[in-house]
Amino acid sequence: MDAAERALFADTIRQLTVQHSGDELDAALDGLGWSEALAVDRPIAVTALFEAVGEANATSSALDKVLCSTLTPSESDTVAVALPPIRTCDAPARIDGSQVTVRGLGTRALRRHDTVVIVASEQNGHTSFVVPTSALKRESARGLDPELRLVEVTGSLERGALAGGAVVDWSAAVTAGQLALGHELVGAARTMLELARVHALERMQFGRPIASFQAVRHRLAESLVAIEAAAALLAAAWDEQDPVIAAMAKAVAGRSARTVARHSQQVLAGIGFTTEHTFHHYFRRIVVLDQLLGASSELTRRLGNDALATGSLPATFPL
Amino acid sequence: MELAEFKLSVDRWLDEHAAELEPEFEGIGTLDEQMAQLRKIMRLGYDAGFTRWGWPGRVGGLGGSNLLRAYLGEALTARDLVEPGNFSMPEVLAPTMIDFAPAELAASMVPRLLSGDEIWCQGFSEPGTGSNLGSLACRATKDGDGWRVNGQKVWTSLAQYAQRCVLLTRTGTPESAHRGITAFFIDMDSAGITVRPIETMHGVPEFSEVFYDDVFVPDERILGRVDGGWAVAMDLLPYERSTALWHRTRYLQRRLEQLVSLAPAGALDPASLGEAIGQVWALRARSRATQRRLAAGETLGAETSIDKVLLATAEQAVFDLAAEGLGPAVALGDDPESGRWRAEFLYSRAATIYGGSAEIQRNIIARRLLDLGADR
Repeated sequence: MDAAERALFADTIRQLTVQHSGDELDAALDGLGWSEALAVDRPIAVTALFEAVGEANATSSALDKVLCSTLTPSESDTVAVALPPIRTCDAPARIDGSQVTVRGLGTRALRRHDTVVIVASEQNGHTSFVVPTSALKRESARGLDPELRLVEVTGSLERGALAGGAVVDWSAAVTAGQLALGHELVGAARTMLELARVHALERMQFGRPIASFQAVRHRLAESLVAIEAAAALLAAAWDEQDPVIAAMAKAVAGRSARTVARHSQQVLAGIGFTTEHTFHHYFRRIVVLDQLLGASSELTRRLGNDALATGSLPATFPL
Repeated sequence: MELAEFKLSVDRWLDEHAAELEPEFEGIGTLDEQMAQLRKIMRLGYDAGFTRWGWPGRVGGLGGSNLLRAYLGEALTARDLVEPGNFSMPEVLAPTMIDFAPAELAASMVPRLLSGDEIWCQGFSEPGTGSNLGSLACRATKDGDGWRVNGQKVWTSLAQYAQRCVLLTRTGTPESAHRGITAFFIDMDSAGITVRPIETMHGVPEFSEVFYDDVFVPDERILGRVDGGWAVAMDLLPYERSTALWHRTRYLQRRLEQLVSLAPAGALDPASLGEAIGQVWALRARSRATQRRLAAGETLGAETSIDKVLLATAEQAVFDLAAEGLGPAVALGDDPESGRWRAEFLYSRAATIYGGSAEIQRNIIARRLLDLGADR
């Protein structure tokens, strides 16, 4: 795609995410051919969709498609993929002899499909299985953000009875998912900042808009700095194709969204604390997204620990 | 020349001349030693052509994009051959000359800067004019075919080494604010200039008070037009936050790498280290995008304030961490390396103050990027 086509693609996606969410958005994306775009131009497809989904507070099954496209490309449209347990990026299952023990999360896609791809770790790598969802214990995890329709999945399965068994690159799937979630966090942060910005310009106190007070302006400025730092790191991470950089970008995006949420909520003040304002949906979303495929606090500590263990830092960005 | 080819030739040159390029001092050195090192590098780099790439032919350059300059500064910084702040001085002052000086003046002067023959300084701030640059009072009054300058500047970096100065003066009424400012390119050996270096907290007389007592400057040394000095200043500031800043990102990265290898086991908190790495890498990503926009011909503006906030935040994070991980060296060490960590830790305190304070950058972001309207 050239620049004009990319802009048109992103604009079309943005309109879909404003109009639709959940199953409807999945159907609209199928109609648009988003999965085909993912196969042809992954950076553009992921960046455009996840930023737009984040901005609109929409939901979709796209994360499963992103993971599936790196694990079992041929089946990316037909199945769900189990995520790691909350806060971690470990594979959602492990193989102990003949047993496969599952402990992970499912997205809304898991509720719609009869089978789920589950990646299990063993001594020397990762193996994927295609498991009937009925073979797993599924517990709804409405929690902080019920719109996400997350499901906790657990189970203990006989390896011999499972379909699949292909060796897969779990790290590549994690990288793909982290970049997608990073963009969704950036999109959500942009909307939180915009909600606060508009409020600050409209809300009058002491005879003037609160946007004229430096304490308010600096919170909003700080938020934009946080967003642009995360956006720049995510863009660079696409160039690098390095799991360490992708994890770092997701961590920075998570922290950035938390920073923006804190400042935006303070500027929105009372109304932002109510369900009568849309802010709380974004707040719920970013707190949960920050903890999928590695919480920012965990990823940040791991980054530091790895540097200390190896005595070296990640690869730098060349000009 | 293409960037890939330039990288190879710079790296080869640095390898082959490593011994010659090496500084002759240990640790951070004195400012005199640093400046001698800078002049040596500029001279050798100029003779080999490297400091000329990325600048237009009409000022003695060899052409090519700004990315060449960005890479040269990065490569020299990565090998610890220059102090990035001093090395990057041409990044701020040469574009001003190219954009605003009479063509002949720019053509004769810029090569002296690129070759290390001359050091230039920037006379902007005054005792009564810090963040509010539009309030400056150092006055220039018409006198025959030139001007007489009277007043005082402060925080003029490297003034005691400088042969020339880009000076902002008041030529309009005191109330004319940013509309009554004129920029001059002034010779520092002019009669009536007194330079008094000020020692900073990190022990380096990096900047000076400069007194102007009836200093004559001819008409042909006006940069831009009379009362048009604000445009000169505004044009210069984004440069301060682009290529020069990219050089500095490499410095922060190198010091963080050295900190990780030097800090004793258990001295660095992994979470704080991970956070600092994230900050420096995000800064590198942001600054690289800015270099690429500049190379694509975009005009830089208020958005570079984001780069500056990220730089200042990352620099303080790195050296806060150094003061933890190398605490005994920073607090007690008297050897050259400890002295260097201490000086750089102290200097990092200024990162949120110089080149437009953290507050001014946030004001710019609020006004120009977030469109929040006037602040009163």
